[in-house]
Amino acid sequence: MRTSGFAFILAGGMGSRLCLLGERRAKPAVPFAGKYRIIDFTLSNCVNSGIYDVGVLTQYRPTSLNRHIGTGRPWDLDRTHGGVQILQPALGAVERDWYKGTADAIYQNLIHLRRRRVEQVLVLSGDHVYTMDYNALYAFHHDRGATCTVAVTEVPEESVGSFGILETDGGGRVVGFQEKPRSARSRLASMGVYLFDREALIRWLTEDAAMAESSHDFGKDVLPRLVARGEKVFAFRFADYWQDVGTLDSYYEANLAFLGDRPPLELANPDWVIHTQSADRPPVRFERGGRVHRSLVANGCRIAGEVVRSVLSPGVHVEAGARIHDSIVMHDTVVGKDATLTRAIVDKLVHVAEGASVGGSEERTPNRACPEHLSSGLTVIGKGALLPAGVRIGPNARIGAYVTESEFSGNVPAGGVVDGPESMH
Amino acid sequence: MRDTMALVLSGGGGERLSVLTAERAVSAVPFGGKYRLIDFVLSNLSHSGAEHVGVITQHAPISLHDHIGAGRPWDLDRRHGGVLILQPFLTGASSGWYRGTADSIAQNWDAITDRRTARLLVLSGDQIYRMDYRALLDTHVEQRAAVTLGVTRVPPEQRRRFGMVTMDPDGRVRSLVEKPRSAATPFASTGIYLFETEVLGEWLRGNPVNLVLDVLRPMIEAGERLVAHEFDGYWDDVGAVGAYYRASLELVSREPRFMIDDQRWPILTRDEERPPVLLRDGAAVEDSLIANGSRVAGTVRRSVLFPGVTVEPGAEVVESVVMSDVVIARGARVDRAILDKYVRVGEGAVVGHGEVPEGPENEWLEGLTLVGKDAVIPPRARVGRAVVIGLGGGAQDFEDGEIAAGTVVPNRAWFGVAR
Repeated sequence: MRTSGFAFILAGGMGSRLCLLGERRAKPAVPFAGKYRIIDFTLSNCVNSGIYDVGVLTQYRPTSLNRHIGTGRPWDLDRTHGGVQILQPALGAVERDWYKGTADAIYQNLIHLRRRRVEQVLVLSGDHVYTMDYNALYAFHHDRGATCTVAVTEVPEESVGSFGILETDGGGRVVGFQEKPRSARSRLASMGVYLFDREALIRWLTEDAAMAESSHDFGKDVLPRLVARGEKVFAFRFADYWQDVGTLDSYYEANLAFLGDRPPLELANPDWVIHTQSADRPPVRFERGGRVHRSLVANGCRIAGEVVRSVLSPGVHVEAGARIHDSIVMHDTVVGKDATLTRAIVDKLVHVAEGASVGGSEERTPNRACPEHLSSGLTVIGKGALLPAGVRIGPNARIGAYVTESEFSGNVPAGGVVDGPESMH
Repeated sequence: MRDTMALVLSGGGGERLSVLTAERAVSAVPFGGKYRLIDFVLSNLSHSGAEHVGVITQHAPISLHDHIGAGRPWDLDRRHGGVLILQPFLTGASSGWYRGTADSIAQNWDAITDRRTARLLVLSGDQIYRMDYRALLDTHVEQRAAVTLGVTRVPPEQRRRFGMVTMDPDGRVRSLVEKPRSAATPFASTGIYLFETEVLGEWLRGNPVNLVLDVLRPMIEAGERLVAHEFDGYWDDVGAVGAYYRASLELVSREPRFMIDDQRWPILTRDEERPPVLLRDGAAVEDSLIANGSRVAGTVRRSVLFPGVTVEPGAEVVESVVMSDVVIARGARVDRAILDKYVRVGEGAVVGHGEVPEGPENEWLEGLTLVGKDAVIPPRARVGRAVVIGLGGGAQDFEDGEIAAGTVVPNRAWFGVAR
């Protein structure tokens, strides 16, 4: 049995397809299922698998992730030996520049392997929602005598174009690897979960770093090259729930899936707790006249209005007469009297003033600024925005972070855009 | 506060809160949907900048010790100072058990004076209030007091419950009378005492047992300088079943006198990692506090639900306190009851059924039904009002599916033996 393990978690991505949600924070720091951040699933998988030594690689807007991870207390990662370390790009002898790709990010941090006596190195992505015991991956890796093991999950044929697709022989050995192919013979997608033999990883990354034509990415460059030249790369099939919440639509659907009678993951499993930074929040206060159905409501919320098929993060206030349907509302947002939200994704600290309404019509004009990501009828409201009393905001609209009353010139039509001040954080 | 050590008296338990304190100290009794009683005092200390805290325990301290741990939730896990648990211990000279409040301090005098603080703030671990102890300290210093007592105004009908304090116009304490039949003074002692360490040390030499009877009253008679500091915020002592229940329901009243969710002075606790509250189809919830990890598909009105409570479809919880991980099955009804952790109420069962029985022996329950930890109420069973079901009660305690009003079912050890 393994006595210790070390994991790198890639958490530098900007989640551009998440539109506003990923604009001011790295994708792993995006709130999920009420009280969690996306990275909580990966961090909890590590500690629940007995891996208490983790480096988190950040790059894009790391503030919110830094604050969330802190000293690693919620995951018992505030330790004397091991624990969690944030690895932001730095200047120095080996670390010279911004991370150019996922492989380069690890390459620039190889120094962290120098004094670590581990035989394998786990490389994870902080972007996915799943629960997985990595011990099974280690066991598989040993059994097959692999040098690199890639965890894979089966995806529907129409979405192979969004993933790295692996082809295997009967024994699980990888014989083909295509990054985001138009079409493929296989439907096995890489989950962004890799286990490498330490010496091989160092050798391969050093070699990749010297290649001028490489974009220094695991999926685009390193793995296809290893497979092509016949290295012992194996695929570990994972059959349980795994969700890439890369787009607004998949983010929305994945959140709402937790409202059903059979949620995709048991968040209350005492043997596999999903740990997160829980602020000290009081229990939810349900006031008179409140009506809540089929919803997740986190501690610190106060509900005097109607909440149906929605996910509320800690500290959301829903005032009397307000109606929230099919929406996701994040921390400390206030939904004022008689305001309505329909199919809305509302970021933190938003103030929806009395009688304002968001979404709720059948119009489907795609968003003017990001038509490719915002066209299914969702409305996105950025962090700290102030929606004036009585304003009507149509579907597919996008309201920028920290927008104030003065930025509105009347109602916002379907697909409309109201941009906020750019400089604020 | 750097030069003050707080001593939280948390030794009490036994009969005071019936089954709720059969296996835990009063200070460890869950309150307010996710807290324990001691959290209020520890949060006050944390927000007041206290660095030295001793918690004196004696009765059933396991859950209290677990809860406090190294004191992290209150930032009392410190290299300098921090929290110290003071459980009785044996020496060659004494039997160890604390005979009373003064004795519990005297027996720990070495550990307490080790912190070398000029003052000792003695607090009770089972009261609900928000207080900045620095205001009390200011009064103490300004008045050059040997002892400062925190006092609060109480209405005439309640004065029998408290130690009543009479003062001079300048705040100097003239008398302290325990639980008088009637009192002219409106000021009750809150059990909050700030002592000059040196003065208390002198008075402990006489081998006193009780802090009020054997220390404070003789001090007043001997002319020591005792001063009162008035506290005008919400303050409640919940060391009895009726008071505990009323304070719980106060939290969910329409205009609560104590807002548990006031984030300007948050109540800190050892938080459990549980998912958000899940409200299913058919849920109807009003005037209630419900903590993370609960799942509700039935009706909840004017109640407090702790983490991990399940209320199945058609079940109804009214004016009740339901502690962690209780399951209330389909169609069951819980009315004016306090259910301790892990209780299971079977399908269609009723807890709090029929009329409140008469008779003075039931008065202390005020018509409430108490169900101890791990008890199982069989499907379709009826539990009357003013009933106490001991820890681990179950089918064997029911006659024709019923427990009659006014019945007391004894506790069972976890392996099923009555005790």
